Amino acid sequence: MKLWLLLLPGLGSIVFLMGSALYTIMIQSVGLHTELGASLDYWSDTLSDPILFRSIEYSLRTSVLGSLGAVILAYPIAMWLRKPIPGKTAIIGLLRAPMFVPGLVAAFLLINVISFHGILNESLLALGVIDKPLRITNDKFGWSVVMLQVWKNTPFALILLSSSINSIRSDVLDASADLGASAWANFSQVVFPLTIPALQAALILIFIGALGDFAFASIAGSRNVYSLSVLMHYTATAYYEWEKAAVIGLVIMVLSGLSAILITLMTRPFANRTRPVISASFLERSHEK
Amino acid sequence: MLQIKNLKKHFEDYLATDDISFEAKEGEFVTLLGPSGCGKTTLLKMIGGFHKPDSGEIWINNERVDHLRPENRSTAMCFQSYALFPHLSVSHNICFGLAQKKLAANLQKDYLAEALLQVGLVPHKDKLPSQLSGGQQQRVALARAMVMRPDVILFDEPLSNLDAKLRESVRFEIKSLQKKHKLTTVYVTHDQAEALAMSDKIIVLNAGRIEQEGSPESIYYRPKNRFVADFIGAANIHKAKVTKLEQAHHYQVSCELGDLIVESEEPPVSDYVYICWRPESAYRAQGEVENTFNIKVENLAFLGNVTDLFGRTLAMNDGESVRIQLDKLLHTQVGKSESFVIPKNAIRFLEEVDE
Repeated sequence: MKLWLLLLPGLGSIVFLMGSALYTIMIQSVGLHTELGASLDYWSDTLSDPILFRSIEYSLRTSVLGSLGAVILAYPIAMWLRKPIPGKTAIIGLLRAPMFVPGLVAAFLLINVISFHGILNESLLALGVIDKPLRITNDKFGWSVVMLQVWKNTPFALILLSSSINSIRSDVLDASADLGASAWANFSQVVFPLTIPALQAALILIFIGALGDFAFASIAGSRNVYSLSVLMHYTATAYYEWEKAAVIGLVIMVLSGLSAILITLMTRPFANRTRPVISASFLERSHEK
Repeated sequence: MLQIKNLKKHFEDYLATDDISFEAKEGEFVTLLGPSGCGKTTLLKMIGGFHKPDSGEIWINNERVDHLRPENRSTAMCFQSYALFPHLSVSHNICFGLAQKKLAANLQKDYLAEALLQVGLVPHKDKLPSQLSGGQQQRVALARAMVMRPDVILFDEPLSNLDAKLRESVRFEIKSLQKKHKLTTVYVTHDQAEALAMSDKIIVLNAGRIEQEGSPESIYYRPKNRFVADFIGAANIHKAKVTKLEQAHHYQVSCELGDLIVESEEPPVSDYVYICWRPESAYRAQGEVENTFNIKVENLAFLGNVTDLFGRTLAMNDGESVRIQLDKLLHTQVGKSESFVIPKNAIRFLEEVDE
């Protein structure tokens, strides 16, 4: 018996399931085993369709803003939670609540709040701030979806960032204050670089989740532009173009992979600073002095 | 110059420092010495600004600083854990404080070069802390604090994570850098050897209070009470009844060891006091000499440079344990009775026995 055989149950099933799904979707995207026969037309048709690019733009926009918003909001909360606060457990529990609300339900709740005759509009009308209700549901830019992504994903970012921030020794933060760092310098030069691995994980996972979002986009998303998942869904179920749907699916996967690499590459330089400050020759000169 | 005035701090129901006052002159090396939980680190952290005192004042160079945040005080601290920034190279770690001060880049480079040469870290200048040994990390922490040219430099048990050999060499390094730059230093330790070797002044703390303050020699040779005598080095302590003799500064004491003569410029505080003497003060008796006493040898340990002997006095009720250190090899056996002499000027009066 070889030891690597022990890996089979876990790794094997992942490889098998991923592999077979990937195989199927790839086969489907070129129309293999269909009556019309294999063809690259599904790819060229889909990739030349402006609707796809509008969807890519929309999905990228909402997921970039959604994931950035979630981590930007999570950082100060995580910093605050580092301090001893009364009722900390209750606060943390409350902050995690959005994780327990399914996306679809959350989307409906938001729509109810911001709809034409929703709580927000009625309140503003009653207060006399506006004369007629605002049309802000299903906005073209995708702000509602961004808001939902931030709301839903902040607790997740908070879990990752909190554990990373809490693992920084308080001596290290004391040392930075002792050496004259302001609160902002302390955050940007010590806390932020030390939490890069957790930030990468949070950004990648939230971004990929948001890129493939269906629930928020289908309820609160724009009526003019589809998100990639919604487009894929309609392509397959409304137009019965399963091959093109498969192409869109692969586009989502490729975009996810690329974004993961991009996020890692973009954040990595912030993690360590080892660039030489002075050269060996400078040291020699000052030694002679 | 650093002045501490009536500093008090408590954590919930635990009094960490109780009305502590002392002074460190410019360039003076002051050590806060005491067992763990005596409040020495709390005191240091109040000077650094990490803890806010309940009451009292902290003055640095005639400016009151106890309301200032750590980043606004001219203090620099060397932490017990070193507290290096794990994501910055040695050079960036050392320059961190200089960059916060917004010092010109060329000056930063000069300071950095000087610091690297001083602590011998030139070959490691671009390594991350995780790639360094404990001793090297300690030197980075030292350099990082030194380049700040602080008015007061604070050390929190900086050598406690180093092995014994390295501890001695870093001890000398710290002392020589401190002398060279005339840095006013407050050094916290529980290691009496470290305190004796490095300090200009030692402050012995116990349970949040100052037990004694003075030069290493005076603390060692003239302890004020049992706590100090016992904490600094080893000490034999006995209860004794004192009678004044006619000769000036001479007393007769009767204690577990028998009747002894004591010569002391300081008179005892009462007729019934504790007395103490150092294990290395006694020597083996040859012939009938003043201050001879007998003990039964219970344990012998040969330590190379000294022989550590533990014995018991020959009194009725079990006797008292006595420790003697001899610098010569002693030919005796466990269970044998031996005679020793304590010089009369080696016995010191401590506080009154209150019973």
